[in-house]
Amino acid sequence: MNYKRVYGMTFTAMLSVGLLAGCSGNNNNAQNNAAATAAPAGTNASASSEPSQEPVTLKWALWDWEATAYYKPLIEAYQKEHPNVTIEYVDLGSTDYMTMLSTQLSGGADLDILTIKDIPGYSNLVKQNHLEPLKGFMGTNSIDPALYGGTVEQIEVNDEVYALPFRSDFWIVYYNKDLFDKAGVEYPSNDMTFDQYDELARKMTSGSGAEKVYGAHYHTWRSAVQLFGILDGKNTVVDGSYDFLKPTYERILKEQEDGIVMDYATLKTSSTHYSGVFYNNSVAMMNMGSWFIATQIEKVKSGESQATNWGIVKYPHPDGVEAGTTLGTITSLAVNQKSEHKEAALDFMKFVTGEDGASVIASTGTIPAIKNDEVISSITSIDGFPADDNSKAALTTVQTYLEMPMHEKSADIEVILNEAHDNIMTKNATIDEGLKDMNTRVQSLLNN
Amino acid sequence: MQNETVLRPKKAPKSILSKGVRDHLVAYSFIAPNFIGFAIFTLVPMFFAFVLAFVKWDGANPMEFVGFDNFARLIKDTTFHKALWNTIVYTIGVVPFTMAVALALAILLNQKIIARNFMRTVFFFPYVASLVAVAAVWNFIFSPTMGPVNNILHLISGVPIEDLPRWAADKEWAMFTVILFTVWKNMGYYMVIYLAGLQGINPELYEAAELDGAGAWRRFRNVTVPQLAPTTFFVLMILVINSFKVYDIFINLFAGADNQLNDSTRVMVYQIYNTAFRSLDYGYASAMAIVLFLLVLGITIVQFRGEKKYG
Amino acid sequence: MVGSNKIFRVSVKVLVYALLAVAVFCMLIPYVWMLSSSLKMNKDVFSFPMQWIPDVPRWQNFVDIWTRIPLGRFIYNTAKLSVVVTILQLLTSSFAAYAFSKLQFKGKNILFLGYIATIAIPWQAYMVPQFIMMRSLGLNNTHLSIILLQAFSAFGVFLMRQFYQGVPDELCEAARIDGLSEYGIWARIMLPLSKPALSTLTIFTFVNTWNDFLGPMIYLTKTELKTIQIGLRMFISQYSAEYGLIMAASVVSIIPVVIVFLALQKYFVQGVAASGVKG
Repeated sequence: MNYKRVYGMTFTAMLSVGLLAGCSGNNNNAQNNAAATAAPAGTNASASSEPSQEPVTLKWALWDWEATAYYKPLIEAYQKEHPNVTIEYVDLGSTDYMTMLSTQLSGGADLDILTIKDIPGYSNLVKQNHLEPLKGFMGTNSIDPALYGGTVEQIEVNDEVYALPFRSDFWIVYYNKDLFDKAGVEYPSNDMTFDQYDELARKMTSGSGAEKVYGAHYHTWRSAVQLFGILDGKNTVVDGSYDFLKPTYERILKEQEDGIVMDYATLKTSSTHYSGVFYNNSVAMMNMGSWFIATQIEKVKSGESQATNWGIVKYPHPDGVEAGTTLGTITSLAVNQKSEHKEAALDFMKFVTGEDGASVIASTGTIPAIKNDEVISSITSIDGFPADDNSKAALTTVQTYLEMPMHEKSADIEVILNEAHDNIMTKNATIDEGLKDMNTRVQSLLNN
Repeated sequence: MQNETVLRPKKAPKSILSKGVRDHLVAYSFIAPNFIGFAIFTLVPMFFAFVLAFVKWDGANPMEFVGFDNFARLIKDTTFHKALWNTIVYTIGVVPFTMAVALALAILLNQKIIARNFMRTVFFFPYVASLVAVAAVWNFIFSPTMGPVNNILHLISGVPIEDLPRWAADKEWAMFTVILFTVWKNMGYYMVIYLAGLQGINPELYEAAELDGAGAWRRFRNVTVPQLAPTTFFVLMILVINSFKVYDIFINLFAGADNQLNDSTRVMVYQIYNTAFRSLDYGYASAMAIVLFLLVLGITIVQFRGEKKYG
Repeated sequence: MVGSNKIFRVSVKVLVYALLAVAVFCMLIPYVWMLSSSLKMNKDVFSFPMQWIPDVPRWQNFVDIWTRIPLGRFIYNTAKLSVVVTILQLLTSSFAAYAFSKLQFKGKNILFLGYIATIAIPWQAYMVPQFIMMRSLGLNNTHLSIILLQAFSAFGVFLMRQFYQGVPDELCEAARIDGLSEYGIWARIMLPLSKPALSTLTIFTFVNTWNDFLGPMIYLTKTELKTIQIGLRMFISQYSAEYGLIMAASVVSIIPVVIVFLALQKYFVQGVAASGVKG
């Protein structure tokens, strides 16, 4: 291949694309212009819209509109005070939501409010300059980051924040009281070490075939297994060194071999949803996020969940670490930097992520990011929440580590970790090979 | 078929220059409606994607020209090599298998047999059904311990169920399983193409062959095979291309809820998708797409030459 | 001699039918499963061992799918897209294919090779530039965007061209001598002759548009514009997989495609043979 020709072709291609597709060039330039064009738009808005009564329509990017309990109440609550604001939702679906959002924004979609589902996706959007910086807004509106229990600090990028959390879920252990009663084993406690959890799971495993009860259940997400390893606070998954995960994998694979938990590869290929096995009384204990509380309550009511007698306890922890240490995941709102209604969008974001929004969210059984006593008691008092004291106490945490910490390259790191995790769990690679794969690939990424 | 390229002008001796121009205009007018739409909405973005292979771009920030760096990275990228290898193995498995089954079915269902229309519909059905649904069924049927397949194998062979293949969940058997699934899912599609091709064969050719005393096999060899050559070329091309472009099937069969594949199931388009949309490395993803494109282009040219000779 | 030959033939026939019966059975199992799952609650869909006929059929699933999402609207949208795309595809593809197969012009082979080569480029590789371009034309969130994307495929041209290759050139020559223009030959000879190919392309295009997911997903974000495949995915969400409903919706979504297939099937047995063409 001839270099000159390729360069020539490249140049003509650039040119013709620029000419033909006008705006596709615009998209690249848009970044340069963004600051310029966005600023006047912003000032205009603030100049004209002190207590603006002009009708505004905001577009809110989210997923699972139908299945999520709090979207509608939030919009209704907001519109009660701001009747001039109409909020339209844009449901991008939950599978690959962040990818879809990034594609929409890169294509210049006119979204105003953006729901941020995970940290890697957030980090990508920040890198792509799609998100409006919020430090200034928080300053003028005296929004105190301390309300959010340290989560805001965890998503800072170069001293700037681009999103505010409105949901903050953390991992707990769900258990099936009937199965424990039947086996005559004492219920799990709010203070379990990994060893105790393992021991309990082994005790609770019984039967075979259709009658088989598994002591524990790990869903196919990486976070359900691998992240036991970070609870001692000594390591993170973005450091580029993963040898510390070896004991965790050894323990889980041993459980899998001994039939204490279901086989990962089978679960994955059969797309078995964790809720199904819990509803069916086939697992005694299951580590899962707090989002499952609301679903489980609802499905017990509808009769779909046969695990009617259930409870929750705090996440198991390593030796020498305080109980209540767990994994967390946050869902945040951000504002599109190119939004034409930035003021209005910021105001809506402030409402949802603030205390008013928090009480609306809590009333639907979901744990909001602002987690005060009032919020906790409003969740535990929901009809259908387990009545025992342990379950109530399980909702207090002492330390939460984000499933994926903020890092410039967390999206790439996540891809590598997920793949290596899959290789280990499906025995495509031994533990050592898998960890070595993580080490080399992430390190080469970090050094790049 | 291409031979008359040479013959045609001779057959039209009265053609003068203006007729030649007119012929060309007529020909182009036939192509234009499709080509203009195709050029604007497919070719232009494709061209743009090609340009991307020589830049570093995250989809939003300004591009940075990097020359052949993206291609140099490919040479060292072992995960990409695995994806490439898996894709090739998959293609080699799927193409001949599907062609044979589809042709056999088409010939069979082109005869006057009982419930012909019903059977044609049945064999075409997997292609119609939503992939999400049929992949779930498939995985259930091939489930390692609970699935009917392994239970029947266990009964027949007496091998303990734990020692039987774990199919999609087994790194040794995953590729075999997905090939089997693909053949099952798509054979009806190619069967339909072959059926339409078979309909195009003049029955008099068979009658003449029969008069000459040709048996079933000779009729197949001497009438069906040559007459079906354009169809076979088409099927082969589309099969190879679709096998190289495979993505949805792997995702639905193996990936679970988080769209994640591992080393034994990673394929090229998955790698492209991941690189572009998860890692936001559009340039590198485009470089991979170009490698894929060149591979298929090479195969296409070889087959195109073959068709000329054969047809 | 004749007797044993007959016995041989009969036994071959029996064997073939037996094999076919087994194959048909294997082909049908998944649909039986789909139907059976569509009458179950989510949690029972993947339960072991399999229950082929649910004790308590949950007909509610078939009611729920219409209320949980605007399925009627989705079906209408999908049908509209599929029909328009199919018609455009048939017209433009058969038109272009005629030139590629029966006419001579400069750059024919190169152009055709280029056409086929583009089939090889995975859509994922250029969907972002394409999306950016469509947006700049103001076409996102319109059905027109999907129509424009799907209607002018190289695939259709390729398929039609291959079938036209099978039509004897002498036929066109004869028509030319009779004074028919090229357009006349296309309309009066090629189109009627290529009914099998046209019905094949109809089915493929219809099924593809009907089952397309990623395209509508990216281009159609307004609920009132969405299509049935997006509806199917709406039931699957990270936190609850509504498999009973997915299967019920799948069953409903397959019906139109099956109708199209059954309606066109008879053309496969006609075609050249039935039109009485002499080669």
